[in-house]
Amino acid sequence: MTDRTRDEGGCKRAADQRAALDGLSRRAFLKGAGGVAAGSVLRSKVDAARAQDSAEAGLEGEVTVEFMLNGAPERVKVEPRTTLLSALRHHLDRPATGTKEVCDQGNCGACTVLVDGEPVYSCMTLAVKAAGTEVRTVEGVAGADGLSTLQSEMWASDGLQCGYCTPGFVMSLTACLEKNPAAEMDELRAACSGNLCRCGTYTQVFEAGLAAARAGKKPR
Amino acid sequence: MSRLQESRPGKKLVKTTRVVNGIDVEEEIWVDDLESPAFKLREDCRLLGKRLKRVDGPAKLTGAAEYTSDVRLEGMLYAKVLLCPYGRANITVDVSAAQDSKGCHYARQLLEETKYLGQPVAVVAAETPELAEDALRALVVEYEALPWALDRDQAIAEGAPLVRRRGNIGRPRDDGDADATAAAFAKCAVVVEGEYSVPVQHHVCLETHGTVVDFRGGEDAIVYCSTQGTHTITGDAADSLGLRNSQVRGIVQHMGGGFGSKFGLERAGTLACEIARELKRPIHLMWNREAEFLTSGNRSGAWQRVRAGASAEGVILAMDSEVERYGGVGGGSHAGLPYLYKVENATRKHSSVYMHLDTNCAMRAPGHPQASFAMEGVVDELAAALEMDAVEFRKQNLRNDAHKSQLDRVAKLIGWHEHPNRTSAGGVDGLKAVGIGFGVSQWGVGGSPVCQVDVRVQPDGSVSAEVGSQDLGTGTRTYLAAIVAEELGRPLDGVQARLGDTRMGNANASGGSTTTPSLAPAIQDAARQMRGVLCAAAAETLGCSAEEVVLQPDGARGPNGSLTWLELCASLPPEGASTRGKWQSDLAVSGVACTQAAKVRVDLLTGRVKVEKMVCLQECGRPLNRLALESQIRGAMTQALSYALLEERRLDPRLGIALSADLETYKIAGSLEIPEFVALVDDEDLREGVAGIGEPPVIPGAGAIANAIYNACGVRLRHLPLTSDKVLNAIEQRKSS
Repeated sequence: MTDRTRDEGGCKRAADQRAALDGLSRRAFLKGAGGVAAGSVLRSKVDAARAQDSAEAGLEGEVTVEFMLNGAPERVKVEPRTTLLSALRHHLDRPATGTKEVCDQGNCGACTVLVDGEPVYSCMTLAVKAAGTEVRTVEGVAGADGLSTLQSEMWASDGLQCGYCTPGFVMSLTACLEKNPAAEMDELRAACSGNLCRCGTYTQVFEAGLAAARAGKKPR
Repeated sequence: MSRLQESRPGKKLVKTTRVVNGIDVEEEIWVDDLESPAFKLREDCRLLGKRLKRVDGPAKLTGAAEYTSDVRLEGMLYAKVLLCPYGRANITVDVSAAQDSKGCHYARQLLEETKYLGQPVAVVAAETPELAEDALRALVVEYEALPWALDRDQAIAEGAPLVRRRGNIGRPRDDGDADATAAAFAKCAVVVEGEYSVPVQHHVCLETHGTVVDFRGGEDAIVYCSTQGTHTITGDAADSLGLRNSQVRGIVQHMGGGFGSKFGLERAGTLACEIARELKRPIHLMWNREAEFLTSGNRSGAWQRVRAGASAEGVILAMDSEVERYGGVGGGSHAGLPYLYKVENATRKHSSVYMHLDTNCAMRAPGHPQASFAMEGVVDELAAALEMDAVEFRKQNLRNDAHKSQLDRVAKLIGWHEHPNRTSAGGVDGLKAVGIGFGVSQWGVGGSPVCQVDVRVQPDGSVSAEVGSQDLGTGTRTYLAAIVAEELGRPLDGVQARLGDTRMGNANASGGSTTTPSLAPAIQDAARQMRGVLCAAAAETLGCSAEEVVLQPDGARGPNGSLTWLELCASLPPEGASTRGKWQSDLAVSGVACTQAAKVRVDLLTGRVKVEKMVCLQECGRPLNRLALESQIRGAMTQALSYALLEERRLDPRLGIALSADLETYKIAGSLEIPEFVALVDDEDLREGVAGIGEPPVIPGAGAIANAIYNACGVRLRHLPLTSDKVLNAIEQRKSS
C-alpha cells in the first residue's frame, strides 16, 4: 500500500469515468468535434451531424448554437463539449436555472427537458445536438395564467417538498401527458421511473399526474 | 440547591431541546411565566390544521425559485475540488499547469496528508464549469498511498494504521447491573439472541452542499448557502472572508434538501470564501455528486448484538446488548438499547470503531433508526418465540400509552386483524408470501426561545411576516403566512412570508425537529400582538372598545359599524404598524409518538421484496398544515423503505476506493418502489402546542419492513439492506432446515 502512484490530472475522477452518451462520450466527441470552427453557427441537426463527421483535431474554439427555447429563439456560444444542461444553466446570456443539475450523469432525471417533445436528460445531451430543435424547460410549460394543469395539480396535491427534483418531474410527466392525455397510473409511474426524489414526494406527484389526466385537458 | 427546587419570581422552568451540530440535547431553561397568546380553537380556524397549498409552490413548480446553486453574479468564477481517490495518502500537487490553463484564475493544494477517503486535496476556480474541470485535469498530483483502515477488520487488525492517536477503538462504555440482568435472564421463559447490522447511509441531498459568495473586495459580502441554518452563515463566512459578522449577509431562499447534513457553511462554503477573499471576485462552489457522497457526512453504520428474554406471560424481563458504531473519523451515533420498550434489567456495552472515512453527522433522527432496527427485531423475535400476537406483545411492553392506542389503529388500517399470520409466521412454500410488520418511535422535539418574528402591516393593506429561518421543503414559509393570516383574519395569500436572510430576526438552525416548536410560537406571539394593534386602531375609528372588535376576511367589525381592511389599514400611522414576537413555551410540545406498519409481498422464487403498503400515525401536537405534514410523513416512510431495502455505502477496503459514490451504484427509492402510503396526523393528540416531525417517522420503517418479511415467510433478516440475495439465501436455508 505504499506504492507511489503518479496520477496525472486526477484521472481517477468520476467525471472522467462518465459513460458514453449516444455511443459517443463527451471526451471522444471533444476530440472529434474540433473541426467546428470558432464562431460557426449550428442551426440544424444536419449541421450538427456534419460537424461531428467532418471533425478533425483541434480542441479549441466555440460554436454558436441556435435553438428555440420555450418558444423564443435562443443563441448561445459554447465549446462543443458543453452539455445542454450546462448551456442552459451557465452559458445563456440570461441563464435558465429552473432545470437542475443533481447527478450530472444521467441517473436522477432532475435535468429532464423536452427536445422536440421528447424527454431527455440534458446532462447527457450535448448543446450542439439541440441545434435547430425546440427545447422546452420547466420555465416554459405554463400558459399565460401561470401554471399548467399538471403544475396546478402538483401544487394542489403537495407534489413538491424541497423542490429540487420538481422541474424534472414536471417535464417527464408533461411529456407523458402530451403523448397520452388519458394516461393511467402505471404509465405515469413508468414515465417518472427515471426521476429521483429524496424528500419522498412520489405519491403526491403521481396523484397530480392522474388528476391532470382526468382533467381531460392536454397540458400546455 | 438543585434547579428543580429553585424558584424564580415570574419565571418558570421548561424542558427544551438545544441542537448542537445537528444533534439535539435536552435541557431545562427558565422562561417568562406569562399567559401564552394561544392559537384559536381548532374548530374556529379557517387555515390552521387545514390542507394548505404551499405559498412557494408556484415558484418551485415553474423553476422561478432561486436556490444557492442558481445564483449567477457578474464576474463569478466556478470553483471545483479534486478528491483524494485513495483511503489515505501523502499528496504533492503541482498547480502550475492548472493555473496556466484557459480561464483558470486559481489553483491551490489544500493539504499534504489526507485523513480519509475522498478528502478534498486541491481546489481550482475558472470562468466556466467546463474550464474548471479542465483545470482540475491539469493538476499534476503525486499520491503516496499510506496504509488505511476502511472497514472494521482493517481498523481493529494488529498494527492497523491509526485513525486517531488514542487508537481505532473508542473506550467502551458499560451500563447496567450485570448481576441483576443475569438473574432476570434466569427467570425468562424464552431468550432470543441475534446480531444486527446497518450500513452507512447517505443523505443524498439533491442540491449538493455549496455556497456562492458575492464579494469583490471592500467591506461587505453576501453569502448564499445551501444550509439548514441561515443564521449560522455569517460567523463562519466572516472568519473566512476576514470581515466582521455584521459585514456579512447570509441568504437561503430555497434549499434542495438537508436532512441533517447542512449546518453552517461547511467546507465548500469556507473554501468559496477563502478564494473570494483572495481574488476579490464572486465564487460559486457547489460540491459535485461524488463529493456529496464522500465528504459531506452520513448516517453512521452499526453492528449490534442483542440478547433478550421474556416471561411466559410476554413481559420482557432482560436485555443484554453490545453496540459498535461506525462513523468514519467521527464517533458515530446510536440511540441506545433497549429502545423505547420497558426492560427492567438491561446491560449494554457501547463503543466506536474509527476508520479513514468522512465523519458521520446528523441525519434525520441521528442514531435512532439503527437502534430501532435491532430493537424492533428482537421484540418481534420474542413475540414469535412465545407465539403471541406481535401487536399485543408490543402493547404489553411499551412505556408510552400513546403507542398502544396508535398500534390498535395502525393494525386496523393495515389489515392486521384479517391477516392469518398474527401469532406465527408464514412458510416458504409456494410462489409468494404476504406479511405485516410493526415498529414505533418517539421524539423529544421541544422548542427554544431563539426566534424573533416581525409582523408588519402597511397603510396600503399589505401584511408581511418575516424571520431569518429557512424552509428545507417542510413548509416553514407556508405556516409563517398561515399563522399570521389566521390571527388577522386575512386570506393566506394576503400575507407575504419572508425567510432566509440574516438581516431578518434570529432563528435556530433546523435540527432535531425543533424549527416548528421554536418558530411557530413566536409567529403566533407577533400575530396576536398585531391583532391587538389593529383592534385598537379599529376601535378608535368605530368608537368602541378594542375587545369588541372582530377581525375577519373583509376587515374589522364592531358593535356599531365596520371597516374594510383597506380602511382599517389606512387609519394606521404612515410607517404602518409592526410587532415582534418571541417564543412562548406553552405553544410548543415535547414528546411525540409515532407508530408504523408495513405490508410486504415476498417473491419466494427470487427473494424480491415489494412493500405494498405502509401506514403511519404521527403525533404532532397542534397540526399547522395537514398537507405538508402528510407529505413529510410519506417522505420519511420513503426514506425508511429505501434504508431497509436499497441503500448501502460500498467500498473496496483492499484497493482503498469508493464503489458507490454516485446515484448509479448507490440506490435510493424511485417511483417503482413506492407503495400505497397511509400517512396520518394523530388526531387523538389534542395538545395545543406545536411540534416538528422531521425525525420520528423516519425511525421505525426499516424494522417494520424486516418484521413484515419474517411474518410473511419466517425468515429473520438482520443485516440491512434487505436485498434479494439475502432474502433468497434465507429462504433456501429455511427450506433445507
